[in-house]
Amino acid sequence: MSRQSIEKLDLLLLILETIDLNGIQSLYALSNRLNLNDVLPNKVTIWKLRNNNPLRKSYVNNNIKVDEFDALIKITVEMSRYLYPYIREILQSKENLEKNSVIWNDFNNRLIDLIKERFNLDSMRVKKLLNQTENDEMIIKSLLTLSLCISNKGYQKLKNFLFDF
Amino acid sequence: MQNKLSFHQSSVSLEIIGLPDYSNNENKDQISIISQWKLTIIDKPLIEGKIEHLVPIMNAFYIYSNLLVKNEIPLYESKLIDIKADNLHIHNIVLKSSKPNVKPLILKIGNSLLSDTINCFDQLNESSKVRIKKTDLTNNTPKKLRFGLNNKVKFFNFIMPPFIAICSIVLFSSSFIYFYSPVEDKEKNELIN
Repeated sequence: MSRQSIEKLDLLLLILETIDLNGIQSLYALSNRLNLNDVLPNKVTIWKLRNNNPLRKSYVNNNIKVDEFDALIKITVEMSRYLYPYIREILQSKENLEKNSVIWNDFNNRLIDLIKERFNLDSMRVKKLLNQTENDEMIIKSLLTLSLCISNKGYQKLKNFLFDF
Repeated sequence: MQNKLSFHQSSVSLEIIGLPDYSNNENKDQISIISQWKLTIIDKPLIEGKIEHLVPIMNAFYIYSNLLVKNEIPLYESKLIDIKADNLHIHNIVLKSSKPNVKPLILKIGNSLLSDTINCFDQLNESSKVRIKKTDLTNNTPKKLRFGLNNKVKFFNFIMPPFIAICSIVLFSSSFIYFYSPVEDKEKNELIN
């Protein structure tokens, strides 16, 4: 797995967690529903796998396996499907900030809080994520990526996006 | 009597009208011969046309969204449709009529409507009740991926013959280790001397 693809996937999961306040529990519940218990038996495993993201404070290179990465993609797609109305609402709020700035600002502030809590703040890439002028594009593209992967072929689509094919 | 199927996603709905292909023994609720389609986006003019317009429009949306998400220049241009980004949130769609003296239809949609539209197209692609000729619909896999896979196959074909040749030389020459013993040879030489 490339460093960039793990970074991107963890960021997408972080965005889903920003929308769903009980995100970690939801991710685990979805892994059960998708019969991924063999690969993701508990919440700690999900957390450990996500720690392969070099941007994290608790970064550990565990050489994430293909089936583990695939399982994370599957739960990301499934969660996007459930959260699509919210993802859409956030995208829409940014289109017309005069009317709906509250939704976008709430989302953005919570995402920044989560990044500050979990990511290595000394990293230049994380500093870029926290930069208000630069992070808008990253957030919108990530939300758009999630919103485009809710179909039955969403898993393959997201995989293509992550590997930048 | 024509069949009608609708696909909905939030503010967008796609209606497909057509007939089953009875020559292929299809069910009466199937649509294989599409006569008309309508794309309704809330607060925007209705978009409709024939099958030969639907497939290029779907492809345009897919290609454009891929460019958008992958940080490439978001611009798609063709005889039928142009899509370009006005900014990070607004996409400008120009639908050109095939009839002369008809002005192009210009739509501006946001990211939310763009994703709704593409999700409607996904539903249509995945529907078992509508059959679109696969030859008309280009693969959604981006060109870069297809190119990448071709390159991998070419590389594999290029590297395999010399690799097999080297392996066979190594295997063949390793068998001689058992036939030639330098110690015995040395002893023989000593006896001769």
